[in-house]
Amino acid sequence: MSDPSRLRRTDAATLVRHGLVALTAIGILAAAFELASERHWNGVEQLIPWIALAALAAAVGLLVVPGGRGVPAARVLAVLVLGASVYGVLDHVLVNFESGALDQRYAESWDTLPALQQWWLAVTKTVGPAPTLAPGVLGQSALLLLLASVGRTRRRVEVQPTSH
Amino acid sequence: MTTTTTRLITACAAAALAFGLVACSGAATPSATTPAPSAAAAPTGSEDDSATADEVDETAAAGAKVSANTASEDEIAAALESAGVSNPERWAEEVVEYRPYPADDPNLTTLRENLAKYNPGQETTDLIVSALAP
Repeated sequence: MSDPSRLRRTDAATLVRHGLVALTAIGILAAAFELASERHWNGVEQLIPWIALAALAAAVGLLVVPGGRGVPAARVLAVLVLGASVYGVLDHVLVNFESGALDQRYAESWDTLPALQQWWLAVTKTVGPAPTLAPGVLGQSALLLLLASVGRTRRRVEVQPTSH
Repeated sequence: MTTTTTRLITACAAAALAFGLVACSGAATPSATTPAPSAAAAPTGSEDDSATADEVDETAAAGAKVSANTASEDEIAAALESAGVSNPERWAEEVVEYRPYPADDPNLTTLRENLAKYNPGQETTDLIVSALAP
């Protein structure tokens, strides 16, 4: 005899999990489109988000392996992508910071500005070309994938027989 | 279940549309700042009153233009410095980063578009391009 309310909860959890995986896939495609639009392939450093996207796509594939066998590896990849995302945000801020003196509005005064103001101008992309939070979409997708993996390995533990 | 699935698909489609719109707006930004063709592409034989223009003309007349595609970063920096560009080393990095440039575009339009992201101003952009050839 199966409990109908428990079945409904299971259905809802499955639906949410599938939705999270779908959102992760959408995030990957959107980020790839954005990177391609920006021609984000000048130099090795600009290839990092492409590698991260490939890792995230692989993680999605691992997550849907039957039996949850790929979940640990998927989580490791997602955490790595999360790290790449944080690095990307910091790198974009740094690029903007280093571009401050190139901006015609601050070319003469950049070196005399207080450091806090320089960093604020860089973070807000008032100076520099790099969108500060754009790499964050990688981290968001990685977090969605991690959320989708919650409970995926528990089932194996539950079906283990208890021996006395 | 069917209704919930339909709602989920609709939500996903909306999210995809939102991502697409953001991506499109980001991609459209550089083209919106495309600079107009400048004096740097004009014949260098004309005489200008300003000191900056004189420097540009002198650079070109002396044949000091270096290739944006093949010159080393140091050579580009030296050429930019000769042309009177401030922060020549930093700009040379950018010139090298956005290679290659079309050989049939002496005005270096691609470079101009990329430099515009840094908001250098028309005068600085013209000075940079005046020291370079594809």
